[in-house]
Amino acid sequence: MSMQGQVQGQGSASQWQSGSPRPMQLRVRHTTGFTYAEGAEASYNEARMTPLTTSDQVVLRSRVEVSPTAWSQEYRDYWGTVVTAFEVHEPHDALTVVATSTVESTPHAVDVAPVGWADLAAVSDEWCEFLVLDSWVRPHDDLGAQLDTLRASSDTPGEYAVGAFGLVHDHLRYLPGVTQVSTTAAEAWEAGAGVCQDVAHATLGALRRAGIPARYVSGYLHPSTEPVVGETVEGESHAWVEYWDGDWRGFDPTNAVVPGDRHVLVARGRGYGDCPPLRGIYSTPGASELFVSVEVTRLR
Amino acid sequence: MSDAHLFDGYGPVAGFDEMFDDSTLRSEYAQVHAAFTRMGNDEIRARAESLASAYLDQGVTFGVGGEERPFPLDIVPRIIEARDWTDVDTGVRQRVKALEAFLADVYGPGEVFTDGIVPRETVLTSPHYHRVVAGIEPPNGVRVHISGIDLIRDGQGDFRVLEDNCRVPSGVSYVMTNRPAMSAALPEVFADHRIRPVQQYSRNLLAALRAAAPSGVSDPNVVVLTPGVYNSAYFEHTLLARTMGVELVEGRDLVCQQGRVSMRTTRGLEPVHVIYRRIDDEFLDPMQFYPESVLGVPGLVNAARAGNVTIANAVGNGVADDKLIYTYVPDLIRYYLGEEPVLRNVDTWRLGDADQREEVLDRLDELVLKPVDGSGGKGIVIGPAASREELDELRVKIDADPRAWIAQPVISLSTVPTLVEQGIRPRHVDLRPFAVNDGDDVYVLPGGLTRVALPEGELIVNSSRGGGSKDTWVLADPSTPADPKDAVDEEADGPEKAKSMRAAAPSVLTEDGGDL
Amino acid sequence: MLSRIAESLFWIGRYLERADDTARILDVQLQVLVEDPAIDEAASCQQLLSVMGVEGHTGAVNRWTILDLLAHNVDSPGSIASAITAAREGARGARETLSTDIWASINTMWRGLPSARTKRPPDMFAWVRNRTAMVNGIADGTMPRDEGWNFFVLGRSIERVDMTARLLSTAALASDTQVAWPTTLRACGAYEAFIRAYRGLEGDRQAAEFLLLDRWFPRSVVSALMEAERALSRLEARGQRSGFGDEAQRLLGRARTELEYRPLAEIVEAMPIEMERLQRTCAAASEAVGARYFSHSDTHAWTGGVSL
Repeated sequence: MSMQGQVQGQGSASQWQSGSPRPMQLRVRHTTGFTYAEGAEASYNEARMTPLTTSDQVVLRSRVEVSPTAWSQEYRDYWGTVVTAFEVHEPHDALTVVATSTVESTPHAVDVAPVGWADLAAVSDEWCEFLVLDSWVRPHDDLGAQLDTLRASSDTPGEYAVGAFGLVHDHLRYLPGVTQVSTTAAEAWEAGAGVCQDVAHATLGALRRAGIPARYVSGYLHPSTEPVVGETVEGESHAWVEYWDGDWRGFDPTNAVVPGDRHVLVARGRGYGDCPPLRGIYSTPGASELFVSVEVTRLR
Repeated sequence: MSDAHLFDGYGPVAGFDEMFDDSTLRSEYAQVHAAFTRMGNDEIRARAESLASAYLDQGVTFGVGGEERPFPLDIVPRIIEARDWTDVDTGVRQRVKALEAFLADVYGPGEVFTDGIVPRETVLTSPHYHRVVAGIEPPNGVRVHISGIDLIRDGQGDFRVLEDNCRVPSGVSYVMTNRPAMSAALPEVFADHRIRPVQQYSRNLLAALRAAAPSGVSDPNVVVLTPGVYNSAYFEHTLLARTMGVELVEGRDLVCQQGRVSMRTTRGLEPVHVIYRRIDDEFLDPMQFYPESVLGVPGLVNAARAGNVTIANAVGNGVADDKLIYTYVPDLIRYYLGEEPVLRNVDTWRLGDADQREEVLDRLDELVLKPVDGSGGKGIVIGPAASREELDELRVKIDADPRAWIAQPVISLSTVPTLVEQGIRPRHVDLRPFAVNDGDDVYVLPGGLTRVALPEGELIVNSSRGGGSKDTWVLADPSTPADPKDAVDEEADGPEKAKSMRAAAPSVLTEDGGDL
Repeated sequence: MLSRIAESLFWIGRYLERADDTARILDVQLQVLVEDPAIDEAASCQQLLSVMGVEGHTGAVNRWTILDLLAHNVDSPGSIASAITAAREGARGARETLSTDIWASINTMWRGLPSARTKRPPDMFAWVRNRTAMVNGIADGTMPRDEGWNFFVLGRSIERVDMTARLLSTAALASDTQVAWPTTLRACGAYEAFIRAYRGLEGDRQAAEFLLLDRWFPRSVVSALMEAERALSRLEARGQRSGFGDEAQRLLGRARTELEYRPLAEIVEAMPIEMERLQRTCAAASEAVGARYFSHSDTHAWTGGVSL
C-alpha cells in the first residue's frame, strides 16, 4: 500500500475527509487460495470476501466462486460479516476462491457531535469487546509512554485520537515482508515497520488504552488517489480502523486519511483474527502455498 | 469383631450429618441403620467386598491419565426423603430453564445486557463464549439437553448450588450401575424402601435427543460421539450408547458433506441427525476451533447452522458454566422466569470487582478460591489448607487475571455414614442430579450421583482425588402417584438398533445357520 | 454397522485365532526341539521365526528367544501376548456392540496374561487354547448372527487359513518329518480325527492332505476357506447370477478350488512355496475386505490455513 500525505498537527480527524462529490463505482476482483505440492484430499473453508452494504457504500453485485466446484452456504457471522462456507471433497492440486464485487461508495460525514472523556463510560459496556487490550493490539511500552503524555494533554477523546494516529503513523513505516499474519502490534512497533494490518492493530491498541472503543476494519483500497475510469489496477487487501466518538468514525492510519470513496469495507471485528479473508483446513501430505491478488477497476 | 463396632465412634460431626441429628437417628435412615446393625461388621464387609469385585469384573471404571481405575461404590446408601427431593427437583428444573433462556439470549438478542442484568463484559470475555454459534437456532430451542447441577447441603441441611454443568456433565453411568449393584448387595434393605428407579434415564435421554432432531426428520438417527477409549468417561459413553441402542461413534466415523453429517458404515454413508457429543467444544470442529484436533469432525458447526444436524449439548454452553455467571444465576431466574430461586447459591465474591477483590485478598487464608472456568475441583485453592507459598502464588495469579477467579467461604459439606477401614464413619458428600430437557419439560433423574470424599476431612469430592460414590435413594412419596417418567418399561421409542444396523442379517441366516 | 466396529470385530477374530494358533505352533515346535536329539536348534528356531513372519531379529536364536518373541513379549508383534492385547484393545473400542459376556471373557483373558507368562510353556499354551475356546464358545452362544458376527467369523477364518498354512510349512521344513507330522496333527487337535479317518497312521502325505483338504475337519485349510467364503456371501446378502462381485470372495474361492483340484503331490512337493502363496492370498483378501467395508479414506490430518 503506498502512502501519501503526512499527518499534520492537532485538530479533528474529519479534516482528512477526502470524499468526492459524485459517487464512485469500484469493481474488486479478489483471487486467493492455496496450491498444494502433493495435492490435497479435502478442504473446509470460510471466505470473508463479500463487501457489506453500509451507510457509506452500497454493494451492487457480488459473487464468490470456488474451484474446484464446492458445496457452499452463506451466512452472517457474529460481527455481521457475510461468510461463504464451502467444502471440497475431491482430490485437488489447488484451491481458488475468486470474489468479485461492484460497490458504489456513498460516503457521508459523521454529523454527531464528538464526546468528552466522561461520556465514554456510558458506552464502555456496550462496546466492551472493542476495548479489550489483548496481545494483538497492546501497545509497546515506548508507545505506551508517549500515549500517556498525549492523554494528559488531550482535552477530548477526538483530540487524543488524532494525536495517536500521528504517533503510530510516524513510527510505523509501510514495509511489506517485515511482519507476518501473526505479528502483534508491539512486535511491529519494535521493528518500526509493518503492513496495514500492523498499523491498524497498533492504532487500535493506542485508542483502547485511553478507553476509546475501536474496531478493526478489513476491506480494499483503490491505490491511486485519482482513479481513472475503466483502468484495472493491482490492489491489495487493506485494513483500517473505526473508533467511537459520539458515533463510529473511520480512519485509515496507514495512509493517514479518513476512509472515503476509494475504500471498500468487507468486515469489522476486534482485530484481524475476526475477519480473515480465507480461513480453513485442508488435508495434504505435503507443503502448501498461499496466493493472493486483488484487482480494482473504477467503473464510474 | 463384634457387631457393636459398626457405628461406634461415629461423630460427633461438625456440620450437617444426614443420618444423625446430633445423636438422634433421622427417620429416613432408620431401616438402613437397623439392617446394618443386624448384619454386623463381618457380614457388611463381606458384602462390600463382593460389591467391589463385581464392579471390577464389569469394568466399571474411570480413566486417570490413560489408566483405568475402579470407581469405588460405598455400601451405605444415601437416602433423600421425598419432600427434600421436591426442592431439588423444582430447583434444578428452574435453574435449567433459566440457563436455557440465558444462553438463547446471549447468542441471540442480548436483552439481558440491555436490561442491565448481567454486564456484557462478564459474558463476552468468557473463554467459553463462542461467537461462532451466534445466530444458530437449535431445532426445538434446546441447548442444554443434558445438565448436571452440583449441589451440597449446608450446615442447616439446605441444598445449595455449587456449580452448573451445561457442557458435557459426566457421572450418570455410575448412577445407573450403582443401583443394580446395590440391590444385589443389600436385597433385604432394598426391599424395605420405596426407592424411585433410575434405569429409565436412557429412555428419557433418547426421547429428548430424538425430540431435538432437525425439523422434517421423522425418524432421526441419534449417535453418541466419544473422543475414544482413552477418555476418562469412555465407560459411560459405551453404557449410554448401549442402553439407548444407538451407535457410539468417534470423530473419524463421521463425515460432513454438503452441510449434512453421515457415518461410515459397511453399507456406505448413513445420515446422522442428532449427535450427543462427549467432546469439548474446542475439539469438536477443527474447521472452527483447533485445526489439529483429530477427535472432531470438520464442518460440524456449519452443518448445525444449515439445520441438518443437532449437536447436543449445543456448542457454546460453557458460558453458562462460568463461575462468574454462576453468581448471577439467581438474578437470571428472577429475570427470565419471574420466580424466586428455589435453590440458593453459595455466597460468592467476584474478584473482577475491585472492592470485593480487596476483601478477598485480605482474607485469602480463610476462603476457597476457584478458577471460573474450571470444573470438578480443578485449580481450587482452599485457603485454610494452603501454605504461605501457595497463597502467594495465588495472589499473583489473581492480580494477573482477576476475572478468572471467584471466592467462596469454606463450607462444611454434609456428611453421610461411609464404610472405611475403622468402621462406618461420617464422610463428606455432594450431589450431582442430572436433568434432561426435551423442549417441553425438564426431567430430573431422581437420584443423581453422590460423590463421597473417602479421606477423612477431605472437602473436595472428586473421583480423581480418591473419591468414591454412593447409591442415592430418593424415596417415593406414598401419597402421590408415580411420575410417568419414572416408568421403567414403555413400548414407545424402543431401542433404535433393531431398526437400523442389525436388520440385514436374518434373511440369510437360515441358509447355513446349522454350520455355525 | 459402523465400518470401524466391523473392522474391530474382524480383527478381534483374527487376533484371537492368531493367539490360539501361535500357541499351537509353539507347542509343537518346542516339543520337537525336545524330542529330536539330532535337531539343529538355532537353524530350526530361525526357520520358525521366518515362517511366523518375525523380521529384523539379530543374534543367536534358541528356544528362549522363540518363547520371548512369539509368546511372552507384548512388544513383539508376532507374540501371543501382543495378539491378546490387540484383541482386547479392539474389544474395548467396540465395547458397546459386544455382549457383556464376550467383553468380560476377552478382558479376563487379557487380565490373566501376566500370570500366564509365569507358567511353564506347555501350561501357558494350554491356557491360551482354553481361553480362546471359551471366547469363541461365548461368541457362538451369545452373538446375534448379524454383520458383526460375520466379520468376526471372517477374520477368524482368514487367520486360520493363514496360520494353518504356516503350521504346514513348519512341518514340511522339519528335519525329521516322522516326528513333525504327528505333533502337527496333535497341535491342531486333529490327531484322533486323522487316525480315525485314515484307519491308522498312514504318513506325511495323508497328514498333509487331511490338514489341507478335509472338508469335515474345521481347522483344515479348505474348511476355513469355506467358512470365510460363507461369511462373505452372507455379508454380500444379494444373490448373483454368475461369478463373484466381491474381490475377497473371488480370491478365497480361487485359492480353495486350486487346492482342491490340483494333484496333491504337486502341492506337497512344494509345500513351503504353496503355503506362502496361500498366505499372500489371505493378505490380499483381508485388504479387499478392508477396501470394501472399512473405507480407509478417513483419518485426514488437517492443517490450518489463513490468508491475508
